[in-house]
Amino acid sequence: MDIAYYPGCSLKQSSSLYDHQNRLIFERLGIHLREIDDWNCCGATSAGKTDDFLAMAMPARNLGIAMSTGLKEMVIPCSACYSRTLVAQKYLDHHEDLKEEINSGLAQKIKGEFKVSSILEVLLKTLETGTLLEKAVKKPSLLKPVCYYGCMMTRFPFDVPVPDDAENPQGMETLLKAIGLQPIDWNYKTNCCGASAAVNEPETAMNLMGKIMKDAVSMGANCMVVTCPMCQLNLDAHQNTFCRDQGIMERLPVLFITEVLGMAMNFSVEDLQIDRHFVDATGLFRELEETGAEKKS
Amino acid sequence: MTAALAFKPEKARTFAKEVMERSGQNLVACYQCRRCAGACSVGEETGYITPDRLIRMILTGDQENALNNELVWKCVSCYTCGTRCPNEIQTGRITETLKKMAKEAHQAPLQPQIAHFHDAFVHSGLRWGRVNEMEFMAFYELRNMIDHVKGKKFGAIFNEIKTQSTLALSMMRLKRMHFGFLSAKGRQEIKRLYKKKKK
Ligand code: SF4
Ligand code: SF4
Repeated sequence: MDIAYYPGCSLKQSSSLYDHQNRLIFERLGIHLREIDDWNCCGATSAGKTDDFLAMAMPARNLGIAMSTGLKEMVIPCSACYSRTLVAQKYLDHHEDLKEEINSGLAQKIKGEFKVSSILEVLLKTLETGTLLEKAVKKPSLLKPVCYYGCMMTRFPFDVPVPDDAENPQGMETLLKAIGLQPIDWNYKTNCCGASAAVNEPETAMNLMGKIMKDAVSMGANCMVVTCPMCQLNLDAHQNTFCRDQGIMERLPVLFITEVLGMAMNFSVEDLQIDRHFVDATGLFRELEETGAEKKS
Repeated sequence: MTAALAFKPEKARTFAKEVMERSGQNLVACYQCRRCAGACSVGEETGYITPDRLIRMILTGDQENALNNELVWKCVSCYTCGTRCPNEIQTGRITETLKKMAKEAHQAPLQPQIAHFHDAFVHSGLRWGRVNEMEFMAFYELRNMIDHVKGKKFGAIFNEIKTQSTLALSMMRLKRMHFGFLSAKGRQEIKRLYKKKKK
């Protein structure tokens, strides 16, 4: 099955490992990701803060391109890109004038039904059909994960159909439980990591991340699992700094969901490029590769 | 600032109306239950100003403070307040609107580096069609440096260089720094639309 794919800027740069992992595991699940042609930046949260028109026009062009492929669905693994694109689609559906205005300048227009999906929605579908469990042959049983969703998977600045519970989402937990893991319940799964504040207002962001980290540690987690490349980079790249400044002794690898599922599907650490984390995640998996990986019955 | 709010009816109506229209939020529905205040991610960072109080400022016509306070600039647009608000008021949309209005009013931002960041990001995305992280960060840092030099804050320059270069080095080591150049040809479509809009 083919599905349209929007990687976005960060998956082509600082989080290119996530792009790579997505292609790898979806292919194995029988889903071919078709990257849409000549896509542009979605504007992220910055456009929403500086220009309302661009905040709609930028993702709108991508939607037009995706719709013109004839495919019916597009998956967007980056939470920010997913949120901006979904919001633009629904907002324009409610504001025909603006839609017409933007369409007038687009080579490929927005029209008709089209589904914008988060990575979790697509993965959950493969669980329903049975493909996921067919391919996930290993159980990485040493992982004691907390699932971290951040803001953009469930909270939107416009009324859109929210794919999971806003206060206590379960998408990642459902997937991890299915492959035999026991994700830990905790309090900070939908708190904010600070996003771009990590760069432009570090004090605020470090405080927010410290709180998330402390709760994860106190619950006994040995890793966090995420879907958002921004959350991943923030919690990973700055972890040493905010832990040092806030007296936190522990360090937790911040794993993409694609890494956990990929390991369950028998890919190796090298295949998945898990060696590109700031807080080493390979140790946890190497040990797994040698000892802890059980064949699931 | 003091806790007492002065009602300025002559300003209140036009100002509140503009904020409501542009943000799409119905501020008069707010009954000051303060669930948003308890929910706000940056509540500990913004002192007195919580979402409900920002709304009060707008409704009472305190334009000057509404356009320039810690919440407007420190809000991380996490949209927690609006998700929990019984009246579905998204204060994140309000702070986003106030940032734009402050810029239009040529009011110097309380936190210039935050304004620089978002400007640089959109600028980079629009210019090439895709955001090139290195170009964008360089542009952003340059604007901060200019501010620091103007303010003779040489310690700040030193710290900024130190933090950024340490991060950059580890990013390079992990191959998380990208040296190629990204662009989208179709960016012209958006640029043309934007030009037309601004006319
Ligand atoms: S939660 Fe909503 S109604 Fe309650 S004080 Fe905040 S904005 Fe007003
Ligand atoms: S959107 Fe802004 S005001 Fe609302 S809870 Fe988040 S940080 Fe606070």
